[in-house]
Amino acid sequence: MKKKNWNGFLIAGCVLTGVLVALMLLGKFWTPWSPTAMDAKAMYQPPSLTHLFGTDKFGRDIFSRVMQGGGTTLTIALATIAIGAALGTLVGAVTGYFGGIVDDALMRLNDALTAFPSILLALLIISLVGPGKYNVVLALGIVFIPSFARVMRTQFASLRDVNYIISARLMGAGQLRIMTVHMLPNTMRTLLPALTIGFNNAVLAEASMSYLGIGVTPPDASLGNMLRDAQSALGRAPWYAILTGVMIALLVFGVGLIGEGLQKRDQEVD
Amino acid sequence: MNYVIRRILMLLLTMLIVSFLTFLAFELVSGDVAQTKLGTEGTPEQVAALRHELGLDQPFLLRYGQWLGGFFTGDLGVSYYNPQPMWELIGPKLGVTLILAAISFLLITLISIPLGLLSYRLAGSPLDGLRTAFNQLCMAVPPFFIGILFSWFFGITLKLFIPEGFPSSIRANPGEAMTQLFFAAVCLSIPRIAMTVRMMRSTVIGEMQKAYVRTAISRGNDRRGVLLRHVLKNSLTGTVTFLAQTLAELIGGSIVVEQVFGIPGLGRFLVAEIRALDYPVVQTIVVILAFWVVLAGTVADLINQRIDPRLRLGGAK
Repeated sequence: MKKKNWNGFLIAGCVLTGVLVALMLLGKFWTPWSPTAMDAKAMYQPPSLTHLFGTDKFGRDIFSRVMQGGGTTLTIALATIAIGAALGTLVGAVTGYFGGIVDDALMRLNDALTAFPSILLALLIISLVGPGKYNVVLALGIVFIPSFARVMRTQFASLRDVNYIISARLMGAGQLRIMTVHMLPNTMRTLLPALTIGFNNAVLAEASMSYLGIGVTPPDASLGNMLRDAQSALGRAPWYAILTGVMIALLVFGVGLIGEGLQKRDQEVD
Repeated sequence: MNYVIRRILMLLLTMLIVSFLTFLAFELVSGDVAQTKLGTEGTPEQVAALRHELGLDQPFLLRYGQWLGGFFTGDLGVSYYNPQPMWELIGPKLGVTLILAAISFLLITLISIPLGLLSYRLAGSPLDGLRTAFNQLCMAVPPFFIGILFSWFFGITLKLFIPEGFPSSIRANPGEAMTQLFFAAVCLSIPRIAMTVRMMRSTVIGEMQKAYVRTAISRGNDRRGVLLRHVLKNSLTGTVTFLAQTLAELIGGSIVVEQVFGIPGLGRFLVAEIRALDYPVVQTIVVILAFWVVLAGTVADLINQRIDPRLRLGGAK
């Protein structure tokens, strides 16, 4: 059957995510205004052509801060998902492929870890290591391992006795080669949508933690701690909170559409 | 062995592991509490005396056993900063959080099950794509951002409640308190409703393709009847499991949403105590919340086992 590579969700998701990611990456090098420049004469300006998203209580340009803060949020989410997916895949591959007592022990530990709601586990780790952007990556990275491990374990276990794996084994391929060259590519169909969901959970978790004041802390800006700041000015400058929050929602929405599109594409192939 | 007994034993085992992990984590990080409490002023003798008084000179496993024993007999230990019994500190806050979770859970169950069944009927129609996109959008908006929007719109603009003006206790001003709890519950529910609808929709679509549905329809039953009488029942076990996870996630979500509305619940207290580095309190709250999650999962399994005879006979998965 002919494989249909693109669908509406995938296109819309990629365009939306692409624009936002480009904006946030650009924010690492250039912003229309300096994100930290204060201007006492331009406090709480509503959105205009000079200040696209208006200004905050120090007269700082919110659009520039969103570009930069978004960059922080994006980097944290990507780093988190890299740690979670890499280690989770490793654990899942080992337990799923070999099974046995290691499998049982690790899966019991996994069950215990999933007993903590993810934000609670992240808060627990933060309370142990302290706030800051690197600790947020560490905490969330650890939090995301169990879910990836579970998903990947099922995949590797189901591939263990498939014919082409058996024949690879008969031809003398080593365990490592079987797992990386023969099995891993065949798990992509599950891994890719899991990555989009994980990315979104990471963005939301980072935003929540920074909003609570125990994630990314000032002077670093992230979309979460900007919302914290914005809430205190809700009466005077509602656009600050609304536009910042909309950026988070759009980023998650875009990646969610990509995930939806990936799943739809696979369903159509079947 | 009887399934119920086995499940309860497993519950106790998981609780044991969870509490042990938490105790271990705090043990590793809190360092020498006696030294911290006395500061640099304390002489080695004073530190040793306090360590003895707090029982810190006992072996680790013994202290874990004592703490766990205390946990179930109501002796939760003492906060570093507040001499009140811990239960008096935590109890009322736990109550507020439970009310919030209960309202959200009610909203989610009452809205998402009918919507899930309805959304099946859209499958294949041109509106379906739009519905999927809307569903994704609802999942994308963080609950605390919906909360901020609500504070602005319903609080500041429409003046239905006072933003961050939660009464000191629910009894002091029940009307205001319940209004705020209701709006907070709506914020918590929206993404979760979207997720439940999505899950139910795919389950129902999967069930509708099965042979028994085709048989039922070929025997002259109408689709609607089959959907309500057969398919709903068969989709129920998955839904119950999902709702149990929801109950768990609500606790996580309420940590953040309580902050938005300034609701004096367990989550907000937890965040404050984390920032104050009050480890005994944090440890207790974490364990209470984790027990809650494990318990929800167990109850879901037991309910599923009651409604689905296949699970009772230990046959098909």
